[in-house]
Parts: sequence; C-alpha cells; structure tokens
Amino acid sequence: MATLHAKHYADAISHLDAPLLLNEQVAENTYLMRVRAPAIAATAKPGQFVMIRLAGLDAPLIGRAFAIYDVHPDPESNAADSVDLIYLRKGALTRPLSEAPVGTMVSLWGPLGNAFRDDPCERLIMAVGGIGQTPMLMAGRDALQRGWADHVEMIYGARRSSLLAGVSDFRDAGFAVTTCTDDGSEGRQALVPDVLAERIQTLQQESPDAKIRVLTCGPEIMMEKVAEVGAAQGVDVQVSMETPMACGIGICFSCVAKVIQEDGEWDYKRTCVDGPIFDAEQLCWG
Amino acid sequence: MPVIPDVTAPTLQTTLGRLTLPNPIMVASGTFGYAREMQSIVDLNRLGGILPKTITAEPRIGNAPWRTVETSAGLLNAIGLDNDGVDAFIEHHLPYLTSLTAPIVVSVAGRTVEDFTELAARVGACPGVAAIELNLSCPNVSGGVDFGTNAESCRSVVASARNATSVPILAKLTPNVTSIADIARGAADGGADAVCLTNTVLGIAVDWRKRRAILGNGMGGLSGPAIKPIALRCVHQVRRAVEIPIIGIGGIASLDDVMQFLVTGASAVQIGTANYYDPTLSMRLIDQLPAALGELGAGSVAEIVGTLE
Repeated sequence: MATLHAKHYADAISHLDAPLLLNEQVAENTYLMRVRAPAIAATAKPGQFVMIRLAGLDAPLIGRAFAIYDVHPDPESNAADSVDLIYLRKGALTRPLSEAPVGTMVSLWGPLGNAFRDDPCERLIMAVGGIGQTPMLMAGRDALQRGWADHVEMIYGARRSSLLAGVSDFRDAGFAVTTCTDDGSEGRQALVPDVLAERIQTLQQESPDAKIRVLTCGPEIMMEKVAEVGAAQGVDVQVSMETPMACGIGICFSCVAKVIQEDGEWDYKRTCVDGPIFDAEQLCWG
Repeated sequence: MPVIPDVTAPTLQTTLGRLTLPNPIMVASGTFGYAREMQSIVDLNRLGGILPKTITAEPRIGNAPWRTVETSAGLLNAIGLDNDGVDAFIEHHLPYLTSLTAPIVVSVAGRTVEDFTELAARVGACPGVAAIELNLSCPNVSGGVDFGTNAESCRSVVASARNATSVPILAKLTPNVTSIADIARGAADGGADAVCLTNTVLGIAVDWRKRRAILGNGMGGLSGPAIKPIALRCVHQVRRAVEIPIIGIGGIASLDDVMQFLVTGASAVQIGTANYYDPTLSMRLIDQLPAALGELGAGSVAEIVGTLE
C-alpha cells in the first residue's frame, strides 16, 4: 500500500514566474537554460528537480520535471540567484522552450524531491547515460567540497560524441570523466554498466576496504544494469528515477514507481515525494 | 502588516444545503493529495474547502503507469483510486486535515450501496469533518460509475448515505450520461445537500506506432481546460431543471472561469487539474474574487449565483 506520509514533502518550495537569463545550445539537440530564481537556488540540494512550464500559455498545459544542474550566486551580492537546467529538445515543451529568447518568462516551482545521500565514502562513481548527467554536477561537487567523498569520477555514455553535454564542467569540478559512446566517436566504444563493472573491480583490487558508492541516472535499462553491477559487486547504488510526472509535488499520484516496502512486497510510490533518489535495492525493475 | 477589514467588501461566504463555506474556492479531490503536500505554497486555512484524495474501505494499489498523459488543453488520467483505505486515512491523514480551519470534505467511493453507507457512517462520525462527497463517478474503477449513470441508483445510494450520518452529503456526478439533470434529480430526491458537476470525461490516448493505449489502464478521465464547456453546460442544465445547490468543477483555471460557473448556477467551485500546473492558483482566485463580485455590483456570492439570463 502507498505510504501514509511521503518521506520528503516539498517544504522548501517556491512557485514563481522567472525570466530566462540564458538559453543556449550546448550539444546536439541539448540546451542549457539559466533562470533567475533566488528562492530555489538558495535551497536546492543535489538530486532535486524543478517543474517548469512556459508562463501564461495553455499549451503545453502540464509542467515538465528537470533535474537541477547548477546554481549561481548574484555576482554583486553573492546571494543565491539563478538555476541552470540542461534539457533535450524533444517534446511539446522543450521544442518551443529551445527557441525562447532570453527574457522569456517561465513558470517554475521547486526545489522538489529528496536528495542524494551524503554519508561518507572513499570513491563516488557517477554512472550516467543519455541526458542523465544533469543531476551529477551538483552531487559530485558537493561531495568534494563538503568532503563526503575523497574521489569523484564519472562514467558518461551517449549514442555519439555530439550528444555529450557538460564534460568540461565535470572535469573543471574535479571529476575524473570517462566517456563512452555507442559508435566509438568519443572515448570508449562500450556500455556504461560494463565500464562501471570493470572500474569497480579495479578499485576493489587496489583497495579492498575502500567504500565505493555509485550514483546513476539515465535510461531505465541502463540504470537497471548498473543496479545489477552494484548488487553483484557489493557496491551501494543510488538511482535517480524519472517517471511521467504531472505536478512534482505529490498531489496527483501519477509518477509512481514500484518500491519494495519493509514487508518485502512492492507498492507504487510517488517518485516526486518519495524520490526521485532511491537506493537501488528498493526498486522493483520492469 | 495588519489587514484592515474593508466594510464594503463583498461577503465570500456561500451556503450549500446544510454546508456553509467561508468562500467558494475549494480544491478538488484527487488533485490536492492529502493537503499536507501543499502546506508550503498554499495557505490551506484560506481555502473555501479541501477535498482530500478519495478513500475506499480497503487499501487500493491503483493502476499501472502510465497514469496520466497530457492531451490538447487537458490531462487524461487513470490513477485508479490509489489510497490506503479508510482506517489509515482516519488514523494518519484526518488528524492533520482537521487541524486546519478550512472545511474538510471527505471524498469516498465504493462498489456497493453498503460500501458508501458504511464509509459515510465511519467518516461522518469523525470530529471535524464538514461534509462527505460521494464519488459516484470515478471512471477508472468499475462499480462507482454505475451510481452516477442511473437516477434511481443515484437516489438510493445518496439516501442511504444520508441516513447513515448527520454531516452534509455532496454527490459528485459524471458527465458521461445522456441526461445529467435526471441524475442530479435522483441525487436531490435522495437528500443530497449539493451536487458536484462534474467529474472527468471518459477518453483514451493512443500511441499509434506501438498500437497501444498510452495509459496503463487503457481509458481514462479527461480534465483541464478542454472540458470546461462541458462542465459548465452540466451546471446550466441542472440549474434549469433541479432545485439543488451546485458545486462547479471542470477545467477552472482563472477567475473568469470561476465567475462563469457562479453566474451559470454554481454556489461554489472546485479547482482541480490547475493545482498540478499552477499550484498557487487557488490563493490568487480568493484574492481576485471580491473585485469581480464588485464589478457586478454584488454584495455576496449568493447574489450572482445562477443569474445567467
């Protein structure tokens, strides 16, 4: 049965109309938008998301969920000011959004959802694919800045080189990035779960006692395989789930995923308030 | 800053049978969770009424995803009354809800007259419940819809629920019928304090490449601005045919929409799908309502209800 109370209500939420400060293509079919939203920037935690729609328009009607990629302070006051989101141009919102000029108003609400756990580990490996890199800049940087991980690395896969977005941001933040592509156009021609399995094996041989944690986000089939790798090699995996969402706040009960409960049975849980971050062993795949 | 009462401001209080609301802006069942979710962006105590998600006697797991899909100016849903059952609701959600000052209207659904009657008795006995809404019209659960498509079934379930409790009874009806006025007359004959018009319109969305319905349940209920004219037409038809207070619901997304429902014959409205995509709308509507009443020269909501020529 659905839980009585969600684990993470959106208690730091703000709902505002905000201008686009930046909206530019950063890779094939991939865009970065910056929105002035101080209240959201001030409280956003790694792994959280916002809901966005184009202000004042009835089409598309329903908001779309975007992982928070980065937050920036105001250069003068140094107070939290803006939020960056990276998105793929693919649907009824993101097509017009990708053409919206700076200054266009978007309606957004957030920050939403829980956050990645920050209990200490020696090695943090972020295994991402497709557009799943978007929650990881804040997560890895937080790990290094607050010291809950000693080393941060990323295994980032895409179909081809031109779809990789943000690699320089990740390297600048101090992550060791391994890229892999389906066609071999950049990095290794390999799949993320396979590269991850090799990497964990190497790390475990080098230092058998080092605590490794994997964060994963991307296509569900990739995340399922990453979860299998983690289970097989005894490594803690946290999954950032994406399910079709209508509100982001917990009021519509659309975005459910099968989550295993204390009694060992699964129940549909709202990804927006009980997630989007789940421990891999909580999830019932497929 | 202290708010100085304006003695000339219209009164927003509205009365439906035995139920009096502080203002006509309610939030619809199934579109507001259990209200706790909205605590940080909506001043819950200002709402005219809160309808938590429909409860059933036993817990229900709900339908397989996808549960919602956007369509033109609307949202198609088949959630499947995912809820923890009445016991969990009374133990865990109701204490929070009844700690609020806004009227709490508990939405219940069942498969039989006995289900509705027992739920009305259980919930009606709980302190702080202002009214009970009988969800006679959820299109995603077989059984419930039958009560909303037959006037005599509607009358008998309403009468039985009404006899089981002293709190006001609202009947939420489906628009998926030949004559909504006949069904509303059944609800009135059964003793309903008001009818809620309407629930969602039955629809389907299809992925032609996969040759499959998009929703896990196949068909679903359409809501949002796309259905507003249908809901407004239902209010109009019932207002002309039956003497029963009406709560309007269906695609309300602006103060203009609210005023259209009031003038057409609704004494209150419920905000539904708009809570999903404009979560603070209800607060703005309450702020804006006095000026619109003033524009019509009305000193109260009641003065404009059903004044359509």
